[in-house]
Amino acid sequence: MPPVTGVTPNPNMSLGNMFCSRCDEGFEPHEKIVNSNGELWHTQCFVCAQCFRAFQDGIFYEFEGRKYCERDFHVLFAPCCNKCGEFVIGRVIKAMAANWHPSCFRCELCSNELADCGFIRNQNRALCHECNAKVKAVGLGKYMCNKCHGIIDDAPLRFRGEVYHGYHFNCTSCNVELDSTAREVKSRPGFAANDMNELYCLRCHDKMGIPICGACRRPIEERVVTALGKHWHVEHFVCAKCEKPFLGHRHYEKRGLAYCETHYHQLFGNLCFVCNQVIGGDVFTALNKSWCVHHFACSVCDMKMTQKSKFYEYDEKPVCKKCYERFPNELRRRLRISHENTMKKTT
Amino acid sequence: MSSAPVSCLPVNSKMSKAKKAIDEARESQNRELDLVDKNVSSFDEMSGLLNMLNVTRITLSHNKISTIPPGIANLINLEILNLANNQIEELPVSLSSMPKLRILNVSINRLNTLPRGFGAFPVLEVLDLSYNNLNEHTLPGNFFMMETLRALYLGDNDFEYLPKEIGNLKNLQILGLRDNDLLDLPREIGELVRLRELHIQNNRLTVLPPEIANLDLLGSKSILKMEENEWVQPIAEQYLLGISHVLDYIKTEAYRILYNRQSGGGKGPVPPRADKSKKASRQR
Repeated sequence: MPPVTGVTPNPNMSLGNMFCSRCDEGFEPHEKIVNSNGELWHTQCFVCAQCFRAFQDGIFYEFEGRKYCERDFHVLFAPCCNKCGEFVIGRVIKAMAANWHPSCFRCELCSNELADCGFIRNQNRALCHECNAKVKAVGLGKYMCNKCHGIIDDAPLRFRGEVYHGYHFNCTSCNVELDSTAREVKSRPGFAANDMNELYCLRCHDKMGIPICGACRRPIEERVVTALGKHWHVEHFVCAKCEKPFLGHRHYEKRGLAYCETHYHQLFGNLCFVCNQVIGGDVFTALNKSWCVHHFACSVCDMKMTQKSKFYEYDEKPVCKKCYERFPNELRRRLRISHENTMKKTT
Repeated sequence: MSSAPVSCLPVNSKMSKAKKAIDEARESQNRELDLVDKNVSSFDEMSGLLNMLNVTRITLSHNKISTIPPGIANLINLEILNLANNQIEELPVSLSSMPKLRILNVSINRLNTLPRGFGAFPVLEVLDLSYNNLNEHTLPGNFFMMETLRALYLGDNDFEYLPKEIGNLKNLQILGLRDNDLLDLPREIGELVRLRELHIQNNRLTVLPPEIANLDLLGSKSILKMEENEWVQPIAEQYLLGISHVLDYIKTEAYRILYNRQSGGGKGPVPPRADKSKKASRQR
């Protein structure tokens, strides 16, 4: 129904056999006659069938043999877009029990135009095939393959931030078809994240010598901590007691486990006998006790002692020679006898 | 010092030694005071000492001090007080109120009693009372309220029994009872879960409470000294094989029966006390 323009009198026709298409009356000589596609009209008859007013700029719309002005035609017959509310002129998309401009009918999730690729009605929403598959997969607790858009029934293969069926890919090294166990080798330093990532089958991946974390059993792509004869992700190398990562702080090893300073000393007792504080630096160990550098001293006179100092044991405490010699004689005698008895027993 | 008018003071060489050390410490702002073997017999000889409020340690071992002035408690920053090998017969009550005192050594002295309320120390960790004349009757009522104690040395004293309140000392790691007159140990010793050192050698013990086997006295950092006692035959036999055998044995049902019979009053003759007349702590 394209608009037809043409308000021109036809001088070749004789006035006697010309009649107005609307009122069937003849025309007066010199009267203006409207000719539209071979039909003739009085100017006052060539009006909108609805509002009986002349067509503005001569533009009219014809529907079922009647002519309408633009406004009345739209009001009476033209569809309104369900999205923008404007009249739809030209191609009308009839879908979801409504009319749409082709550019207004889009997938509710990804906003792609649906006019030419078809759509699926999903819970009263128009969705493209892709989004529909995704929604369905999520509903089933599964992933949708980012390549074929099918649901991934088994474990998905993760690659460059998306999920796929493993069988769409082959190992970069040996070309074998991959499955979910394939490993993504992250971009080398200097390349943008993800861009250089490649997929390898587990066999080829392991042959590349990429360290595996002793805690999570996953490959370590970034900084590697090597301790206790294993490799660790920085954040997975933790104190066996409090499970906080060492993050480069000193750790202490005991029976194949690593501990932070606090818990190592708490559990294994390297507290100074005098100040009862964790011994940070060198440790003096004697008589089943430990001392920090500041406090390894004679227990009687508090005189500092060194690694080389000789001392007597008195109640499992160190006593320097000078002090021991100042002990009461009878005490020294008893201590000597006790000492000799113990020696006898152990030999 | 050379210009000091020495002639008008009753100065003797011993006294000036202590005074000199104190003056030096004050000048150098040393917070640790070593006054070992300075022939000091009274705090009066160390004027100014009790005004040095910033000192954290005073060591007065090997002197001849017989009394401690209550004013010692002025030293609110004192953490370590070492009075070993003096002639102290009495301690002031005020000592127990010292807010930072962690280590107190009064070993090798002449203490016959402790002041009432002695157990009020707020943060005391190590208490050495060995080689004195103390026994279970001379301990003040609150003695076992010192829950912060890590080490308690009572060796070379006159204990025959250890009060069962010992079980209150939940943080105790070391208990020294060497060379006493102990006839029995309370079962409550088994409540000292952190105990790593137990010295009970040279006493008159015949049996051990079975609860002792619950303690960690076999670890690499643990010590149990128990020789020279009057152990019942089975314990003596196990002892010859090693401490671990003793602790295994006292866990058995057979031993439990034996122990119950012993503590029910079925003991044999009480062994005599050790002769302590020659102890330096008895001298007057």
